[in-house]
Amino acid sequence: MNGPPPDTDGPGGFPAEPDGPGSFPLGTDGRGRFPGDPDDPDDPAEDDAEAGLEQALRDAAALLDPVPTELVQAAVDAYTLRTLDAELADLTFDSLAEPVLVRGGRQPRLATFHAPGVTIDVEITVMGAIGRVLGQVIPAQPAEIEVRGRRPADVSADAMGRFVCDEVPPGPFSLRCRFPAAVVTTEWIVI
Amino acid sequence: MSAGGLTRRTMMIPAPRDVAVDRDSIASLFLAAAEGDAAAWKALVEGMTPLVWSVIRAHRLSDADGAEVFQTTWLRLTQHLGRIREPEKVGSWLASTARHECLKVIHAARRVSPVGDLEILDRGSGGDTPEDELIRSEEAAADSERVRQLWQAFEELGETCRRLLRVLMASPRPHYSDVSSALGIPVGSIGPTRQRCLRRLGALLAERGVR
Repeated sequence: MNGPPPDTDGPGGFPAEPDGPGSFPLGTDGRGRFPGDPDDPDDPAEDDAEAGLEQALRDAAALLDPVPTELVQAAVDAYTLRTLDAELADLTFDSLAEPVLVRGGRQPRLATFHAPGVTIDVEITVMGAIGRVLGQVIPAQPAEIEVRGRRPADVSADAMGRFVCDEVPPGPFSLRCRFPAAVVTTEWIVI
Repeated sequence: MSAGGLTRRTMMIPAPRDVAVDRDSIASLFLAAAEGDAAAWKALVEGMTPLVWSVIRAHRLSDADGAEVFQTTWLRLTQHLGRIREPEKVGSWLASTARHECLKVIHAARRVSPVGDLEILDRGSGGDTPEDELIRSEEAAADSERVRQLWQAFEELGETCRRLLRVLMASPRPHYSDVSSALGIPVGSIGPTRQRCLRRLGALLAERGVR
């Protein structure tokens, strides 16, 4: 192991390099590999005695544990939820991604989203199958906030930048915050 | 090794052969989607969903939790469409994002209901997809039994093996860099672990006389 992998939730989108030493150098054989690379999954060296069994597993997975069709459709539909007009606020902190330092300390979950000029802090408490999100916009300012996810809703941040989203069901969750000068959406997370 | 009998030919199961979803075409699809091409996005999704699903199952997420991680992973990719520096690594990005979201769900321990072999096997026999119909048909009964035994043996493997093989069995076969991102393990460890695990699986099958 090379220690904990970099968290891709950080700013900047794609990680510069995937974990470990296996990142594919660019400008190799067009598929990002050196010809004859022993780690090449398509290298004939992997066409070994175990290859048939691996393929049998692949066939079994396609039969017994396929991707649910409705999920594929949902992923296709995700494209229409893009908010082209909005600045993206990256998830820069998520307490669920941190080691547990306090006994029994997974609630509330704290997350921070950051876009140029604005930070959005949220505190997420899940009771049973329903979540409650307390939030604050920094610097403090009013905003109209669209809660996106399983149960869309509209809430307002007050002059102190505080807002509450009640009855948020589990599932994908993102906020679209309309400020006087800008529109910012937070990275999708799972609540 | 007796497992040699478990080939596509003897199993007579139609499965998507490794369609050519190579790094170049994934990168092209991604760039086209970033330019607003919805059809390219659809093709990208269809090419990469098995990998994302495999990562989720490798982490033993339930159907419900898995669905949420799956959707969130794709929703998040739409947010990064315009920010990509290395589109040929979209597979690694998806695998890594799915992994991190899986770990958070596990940390939250919100609904702990790991996927066991029974759930999977029940699903396999209760669905109504064309594949299920085929596998239920009389002439496929023997193959079906073989697939079940294979899956049962797979579920009995140790956690390291089960996790690695679950990702490797994505279709098309994932690149090792994607597997590395999916599991947070070095690329160099994948080949040797894969071989050890598949040999152990073969031995398990041999013990129970599965050919």
